[in-house]
Amino acid sequence: MAEGTIVFDRVWKKFRRGERHKSLRDLLPALVSRTVRRGPALGDEEFWALRNVSFEVRPGEALGIIGANGAGKSTALKLLSKIFRTTAGRYMVKGRVGSLIEVAAGFHPDLTGRENVYLQGAILGMKRTEIARAFDQIVEFAGAGDFVDTPVKRYSSGMNARLGFSIAAHLNPDVLLIDEILAVGDMAFQERCFDRLQLFRQSGAAIAFVSHNLKAISSLCDRVLVLSRGEVHAYGPTDEAIAAYAELLRRDGGTTTGIGESRVEVLDGTGRATQRIAAGSRMTVRAVVAPPRGDAALVCAMRIRRLDSGEAVFFTTSSSVGCPPVAVEPPMAVEVVWDLEANLARGHYAIELIFRNRNAAYGREALMRLNPAALFEINETQTEQGVVYLNPRCRATALDGAVEAVS
Amino acid sequence: MAQIVETSAFTPDLPRTGFFAALRDDVAEMLGEQVQYRELLLQMCVRDLRVRYKQSVMGFGWAIFMPLINTIVFSLVFARVAKIQTSIPYPLFAYCGLAAWNFFASSLRFSVISLTTNSQLVTKVYFPREIFPFASVLVSLVDFAVSSVVLLGMMAYYRVPLTSAVWFLPIVVIVQIAFTSGMSLLLAAGNLYYRDVKYLFEVIIVVWMFATSVIYPINLIDGRLHLLMRLNPMTPIIDAYRSVLLRGELPSAPSFAAATVMSFVVLAVAWTVFHRAEFTFAETI
Repeated sequence: MAEGTIVFDRVWKKFRRGERHKSLRDLLPALVSRTVRRGPALGDEEFWALRNVSFEVRPGEALGIIGANGAGKSTALKLLSKIFRTTAGRYMVKGRVGSLIEVAAGFHPDLTGRENVYLQGAILGMKRTEIARAFDQIVEFAGAGDFVDTPVKRYSSGMNARLGFSIAAHLNPDVLLIDEILAVGDMAFQERCFDRLQLFRQSGAAIAFVSHNLKAISSLCDRVLVLSRGEVHAYGPTDEAIAAYAELLRRDGGTTTGIGESRVEVLDGTGRATQRIAAGSRMTVRAVVAPPRGDAALVCAMRIRRLDSGEAVFFTTSSSVGCPPVAVEPPMAVEVVWDLEANLARGHYAIELIFRNRNAAYGREALMRLNPAALFEINETQTEQGVVYLNPRCRATALDGAVEAVS
Repeated sequence: MAQIVETSAFTPDLPRTGFFAALRDDVAEMLGEQVQYRELLLQMCVRDLRVRYKQSVMGFGWAIFMPLINTIVFSLVFARVAKIQTSIPYPLFAYCGLAAWNFFASSLRFSVISLTTNSQLVTKVYFPREIFPFASVLVSLVDFAVSSVVLLGMMAYYRVPLTSAVWFLPIVVIVQIAFTSGMSLLLAAGNLYYRDVKYLFEVIIVVWMFATSVIYPINLIDGRLHLLMRLNPMTPIIDAYRSVLLRGELPSAPSFAAATVMSFVVLAVAWTVFHRAEFTFAETI
């Protein structure tokens, strides 16, 4: 039984923009004594990659770390794997650490797969005997059986990554640090990786998982840490944190363009503004926007995405449901009301609204885009898997006769 | 709603310790990590050896070929043209010096770029970075061992017998490894911060060779220059090889003892400096 724990306690980390070559002056004091402490103040050309970040992962738990590029996700993992050192704050990693940050980093192109397995295994901290014992499984898991004695430079990039992941997966770690590695390999391999991770978690490993794939995050993780510009934006149960992340994206603008003033609200069947909708009930999306210029005949398109996977579950346009284009001139606003039946499986959803101008020379020019325009959550407990809610009913009775006897 | 962690007042938590306590911790960590990662050092060494000879026909032959060619060239120059008198046959004198010098020079040549060429590993995976320069030294040591087979052959040809002084040989090798490792650590870390080190090294290593008794006895040079050159630990080390192997006597005590002390001081200082700078490597490279 693995027993891994990760604690990150008020960690700060600063980096330097640009080259460090002028800073011999800063290096020398650090060499004289490790006790020299760099204070919280930022010097020129410095910035905080992490600011007062705390989290904890207990045995058998998986923590997802999400956030925009440059939010500090990878920095947090690199601190945990001792590649960087904190500027201030403490962290603790208990147990044997398996770091899946760059699974094939240690590969040498001129060496064969076999030679590289031993090399990379040693880099990850495995003993030679351990690697030898796991060797056949590693090769089989990677599906590289025919290529073990081929130099890695002849491998496809997918195979390279598969072999790398496979080595790391056979490390049997107590603590697993994963940085966006599931992006490698084909679907089948990704699924096998995923099963492997689940297995680790069940055996008591603590997992910290950085990814942009919210679906992977939500199916693996118990809790999620949302980072924004080095700070903790949200930290809590997966679906709540993901919702907070979506809210953050919306607040930070997302890809909203061309909009002057806008107001979007989601109403439930009774006309009350809310973000929680019962599956199968009526819902209304009401948007009031000010178009940026005149001589416009507006049509509105709506796309609904699942937040965890990013999958678009529904897309339609006002014209395809029989609503004619609206002619507007500034300062007139336009109101669009979508009436929908929320036949969606439980989860968090984002609504994207796109306004196009029918009068434009290019016909389909997107005048305005609100992404996401609004968020909502579907509550229901009947869907086990899938994206739609089909209002299921089921009835089962015992019959007296045999199958042939029933007409 | 998800829990929003509030930003509390900044409180640094790094423990402040005294200079000696910190030094003691460092040394414990430095040695402990080398024990823990001993298999990786071997694997790295094996990697470098394999890669070096992967697409070459001569393989380990190069370890013999290079000093041999140099010996022939210098034998022609110094025995025929410059006419140096050495107490032992000149080809033996030169080959012994060149083999030991090549161990030193090639260790450094590989070390100086060892961190920068492995930047993928330095920035992605943690293990003690000392492994890179240490592996470079180890690989060159293997070459040294191979090339010394030829030396034994030459000794047989010139009828120079091995005496009991050869038991001192391991000590000479250890001292050279210590000095070479120390220099390797400094150069590897130096080149990570300033790529100039690599070019500077190429110049210095040539000058250094001619300032060491590699291909001619250093006592040919008199006066203050001689004193300066005696400070160089490589001269007593290379002379020590000749003493224990070719002359059948122990190395001259004062100069070899001084070289030993200096080698270990260099190693200790270099390793500590390297270890303390190590945590900035991934950010700097």
